[in-house]
Amino acid sequence: MPTLDRNLLHRYGLLFVILLVGLGLTLTTDTFLSVANLTNVARQVSINGILAVGVTFVLLTAGVDLSLGSVVALSGVACATFAHPGDHPVFVPIVVGLLTGAACGLVNGVLVTRGGVAPFIVTLGMMTISRGLALIVSGGRPVANMSNELTALAGDFLGIPIPVLCFAGVALAAWFFLRNFRLGRHIYAVGGNENAARAAGVPVERVKLFAYGLCGLLTGLAGVVLAARITTGQPNAGQAYELDAIAAVVIGGTSLAGGVGTITGTLLGVLLIGVINNGLDLLGVSSYYQAVIKGVIIVGAVWLDRRQARS
Amino acid sequence: MRLTPRTAAAAFLAVGALALSASFLSGCKKAEARKEGELLIGFSSRDLSAEYTAKLSEAVVDYAKTKPGVKLVMVDAQSDVQKQFSQVENFIAQKVDAIILNPCELEASTPAVDRIKAAGIPLVLVNQTTKSVGDSYIGSNDFEAGRIAMEAIAKKLNGQGGVLMLHGIMGTSAQLQREAGAREVFAKYPGLKLVDHQTASWDRAKALAITENWIQAHKGKFSAVFAHNDEMAMGALLALERAQLKKDVYVIGIDAIAQALSAVKEGRLDATVFQDAVGQGKGSVDAALLLAKKQPCPKETMIPFQLITRDNLSQFLK
Repeated sequence: MPTLDRNLLHRYGLLFVILLVGLGLTLTTDTFLSVANLTNVARQVSINGILAVGVTFVLLTAGVDLSLGSVVALSGVACATFAHPGDHPVFVPIVVGLLTGAACGLVNGVLVTRGGVAPFIVTLGMMTISRGLALIVSGGRPVANMSNELTALAGDFLGIPIPVLCFAGVALAAWFFLRNFRLGRHIYAVGGNENAARAAGVPVERVKLFAYGLCGLLTGLAGVVLAARITTGQPNAGQAYELDAIAAVVIGGTSLAGGVGTITGTLLGVLLIGVINNGLDLLGVSSYYQAVIKGVIIVGAVWLDRRQARS
Repeated sequence: MRLTPRTAAAAFLAVGALALSASFLSGCKKAEARKEGELLIGFSSRDLSAEYTAKLSEAVVDYAKTKPGVKLVMVDAQSDVQKQFSQVENFIAQKVDAIILNPCELEASTPAVDRIKAAGIPLVLVNQTTKSVGDSYIGSNDFEAGRIAMEAIAKKLNGQGGVLMLHGIMGTSAQLQREAGAREVFAKYPGLKLVDHQTASWDRAKALAITENWIQAHKGKFSAVFAHNDEMAMGALLALERAQLKKDVYVIGIDAIAQALSAVKEGRLDATVFQDAVGQGKGSVDAALLLAKKQPCPKETMIPFQLITRDNLSQFLK
């Protein structure tokens, strides 16, 4: 099966780049290759990772979601609002955050499928609407005074950071789902050729609605995790998070045209961005150069990966 | 209700129309309320979602309300230079008697200042300077804030030790001057070493991640963190607390936002530098009124900074 081989090559091409960057950092710093630092990298990539897994579903259907960053802020603010100590049991703010994200995702999905508006426009609208709502709900100020039970979500469980466990769980479930469920295969079918999928009896609208809704739910989760991590709901948090998430997915070999891509690829894309961010800080590279280097490595990784895939 | 494209579009339009008419109504109220001889002042705030700016803007609005015969209109630029430029053009078109501008940026906001001056409208700049000067500037010398914070670190470390510095958004006047103030202190104490510095763009989540990385890279080599604002200081504080290193590291920020003050009170954050938002807000309204009435007004009014530690905290908690 040619597609399988291509995916395999995709995977190894990117793995090669990550190992190369990792090797470089191991040689140039004496801190990169330590348990503490690698835990650190894992913790720092988990929010972008959760977002990237979610938006992989949307990109696979040939859609896009530009509202991720703003919805992260809105879900974080919504969660923090219900997380004051003694107000509610700890699951309430978590559920509120998740539902807020899911609601935004479903509205996106309904407007894309039933409304027939281009995903770019719908989610661009959602991006400003949810940012505005985050400012309205919070009165423009960070929502502080969160209970210890909730901020404990940023802590460790059996020595592993809980955000990392969330990310790993989400990635594993998504990987299993896309491979083994009929709905998972339908997502590829819709993105590959919508008309053919419809002719074959795939409920295209419902599949898309599911993709946007799931992406929203995971964005809500990212919002809750971020709020726990910075111990506040920040209405201006998450600026441009959608770009890092989409970059990770595309680096991982998912096509912006839909139908092609894997969760393992997304995972590697997330790791590459995380390792670069961490490594540049460890090396003490100036902020100005960091931005340039990051861009070059991202484009270079995709280029190398695609070249490898073609040969 | 079944959601068809038409009902979805209708719902969208209805929400939009509602928001539009609400803003029209509030706009008309202001226009109608302008009486003969009443002074109209336009105020463009940099970003109401930033805690310090929000506090300053609230002071401007509240203080203007206490002045009889004065109408103040506030708009929020949301850190967007272009948006602020349009807001300024709208003020000019409304022929306001004076403008209070809290510029977004040092360089990029300069054209907006030039436009106001070309229109001959009295201009007060508050909290942030631009390349062109207004008729009056109300601010605090950010150089001073950076110096005060680093002096506190130097004193705590007895002039010996490693320091990490978290910058604000590079190129803003607050970042440039706070850094310059800190650098002056470094020059004075050869024993103080700048171990590493990086921008976290005033953002707590970014400061948290950078500090986590620094803990890996420079563990044991630093005993203080200077953050250009409290948001970033809170981020650094969280990273250090989670790594159980806080007791060895002195952390200081600038602005004295509410969360920083309560962190100082709880003995978590070591210190912050108080920038007097209310003083700046009131000062800018006073200057705008003097200028609108064509009375002499000082070119520059500096509201002093103060170091806040647990010892003198009580006078700042209201």
